[in-house]
Amino acid sequence: MASIELRQVSKIYPGSAAGVKDIDLSVADGEFVIFLGPSGCGKSTLLRSIAGLESITAGDILINGEIVNHVAPRDRNIAVVFQSYALYPHMNVWQNMAFGLRMRGSPAEEIDAKVKEAAELLGLTPLMQRRPSALSGGQRQRVALGRAIVRDPQAFLLDEPLSNLDAQLRAEMRLELVRLHRKLGRTTIHVTHDQVEAMTMGDRIFIMKDGRLIQQGPPLEVYANPADTFVAGFLASPPMNLVSGRLVEVGDGLAFRTDGAMLPIPAAFRAAYAAWAGKPVIFGLRSEDFHAAPNGDSSAPLTLQVEAVEALGPENILIGRLAGAPTQVSARLSRHYSAQPGESVTLYADLTPMHLFTPEDGKAIPRPRAAPALLRRHA
Amino acid sequence: MRHFGLHAGLWLAVALILLPPLWVLRTSLVPESMAYSTDVFPAFSLENYQSLFGQKRFGTFYLNSIIVALGSVIIALPFAAAMGYAFARFQTGGRFGRFLVLSLQMLPPVALVLPAFAILRSMELTQSLTGLTIVYAALNIPFLAWILMGFFEGIPVDLEWAAMTDGTTAWGAFWRIVLPVSLPGLAAAGVLGFILSWNEFLFALVLTGSKTATIPVALASLQTSNGIQIGKVSAGVVLAILPLIIASRFIQRFIVQGLTFGSVK
Repeated sequence: MASIELRQVSKIYPGSAAGVKDIDLSVADGEFVIFLGPSGCGKSTLLRSIAGLESITAGDILINGEIVNHVAPRDRNIAVVFQSYALYPHMNVWQNMAFGLRMRGSPAEEIDAKVKEAAELLGLTPLMQRRPSALSGGQRQRVALGRAIVRDPQAFLLDEPLSNLDAQLRAEMRLELVRLHRKLGRTTIHVTHDQVEAMTMGDRIFIMKDGRLIQQGPPLEVYANPADTFVAGFLASPPMNLVSGRLVEVGDGLAFRTDGAMLPIPAAFRAAYAAWAGKPVIFGLRSEDFHAAPNGDSSAPLTLQVEAVEALGPENILIGRLAGAPTQVSARLSRHYSAQPGESVTLYADLTPMHLFTPEDGKAIPRPRAAPALLRRHA
Repeated sequence: MRHFGLHAGLWLAVALILLPPLWVLRTSLVPESMAYSTDVFPAFSLENYQSLFGQKRFGTFYLNSIIVALGSVIIALPFAAAMGYAFARFQTGGRFGRFLVLSLQMLPPVALVLPAFAILRSMELTQSLTGLTIVYAALNIPFLAWILMGFFEGIPVDLEWAAMTDGTTAWGAFWRIVLPVSLPGLAAAGVLGFILSWNEFLFALVLTGSKTATIPVALASLQTSNGIQIGKVSAGVVLAILPLIIASRFIQRFIVQGLTFGSVK
């Protein structure tokens, strides 16, 4: 069991913009966390640094409170599952899974017992004599996992382990990984660029961009309170609608004004946003906060010129523009509501979960925090 | 009809390539006196081969060639593997280092023969198989390192990382994972090095004596003041290319195997 802590960790590659800068984070013992970010954001570099496969330029990496900067990978007792699976092609499944234990000099009976146990757990028992080249993608993925489990490491580092699987298999493995974590209770860091994995698998997510840690927190918490426009856009599909405009005073209240719409700011946020009155801001609202009918006090009507409709089955996504405005807006509506491209429809925006961001650096303007959607429903 | 034209053309091309070696084979199997006859196969005789292995001591030269070629590969391969791996994984020496290795191949061999002779003489290794083996190994190392570098670059670094987190040292990852995975590459490189040493003439001519000559030197010595003994030369050529034909079959298999073996994803 292990806690993992990073203090001011930087990895700089000479002559390259890649790498990570000043990362501070800590993962509690037994926690399942997600490193989320676009490719090239440094999340895999960070993972390899924790595993000891890359030396860091500055800072400290602590496992169980001890600095391990110069501890060899084999002495960190951490297992890594690679995106490519990295199965040893000249060994069969049994040998692949037993390799780590054999390197550690475990007795033969113990190796056999542990490999059998892990194979049973992952449904690999009938494949033990096969070479990796004779396995399907999903089976290779399981062997890679098995190789990690067998060693009973302090922590698992998973580097985009699901990205080479097809959609259905990925969904199955997502559940399986979570189940495994619950069963084994080991600290797990899962690197991904997939927002579904990020939202559904981890206790906490760490969002990275350009080698920096942008935001961390429980998935729904981050979803409800994105720190900036990048997080707002990255953590959902379709991404949060971001519209440029200006905050104006209307009577004793505030409103967001943009081409084609005037949206009153909910009373609860007035004090927080007061200082921005008269200034340009970016307005953010998720696509699911548009409704076909008024929904509570903070609903505001607006007109959408529909340009495309994506009928997904369970829901219809309307893509269009606010009357005459340049920015594209997407609204996620029930499957019972649809429209034709070219039509203008009136939708009601629920403004309770709205956000304002500064146009300069895209940072969220602080306001009273929105409760995560799930918690609100229970309340 | 169009097919007939195409096939005729192909057969012509095949004949152009195959007829000369086939004629050599034919000449080696007819008596010396009829070697220049225009008949396709005037008479069958093994006298050329008998003469080569008897009076011309070709057995010894054959053995010499095998010892030198095999020995040079066995010495060169570990060094070349280490060098190729360092270039591939650690970028040792950077681009300049790689260029340096390649540039050795651009040097005309004649420029190296006399220095090599001088060095071997000071070590009293001229006219010995040991000396020639060492020189061949030295000539083979950069070439084999270059081939192996390409092969090592094709092995995902993930494999070594996996091994290192699994409990090996960096050296252990090389020894237990990289080397076994690159066996086809090592074999292919070894066969290429063998062929190179087997065919080498210039160094062998300068550095060996009458007892330690290799096949190419022995073949050249069949060109006497009495003229070229074409029957024996043909028989010698057939004998000389026989191991290469066998080796080529192997190298083909290994290279194909090498391409499909490592598929990780």
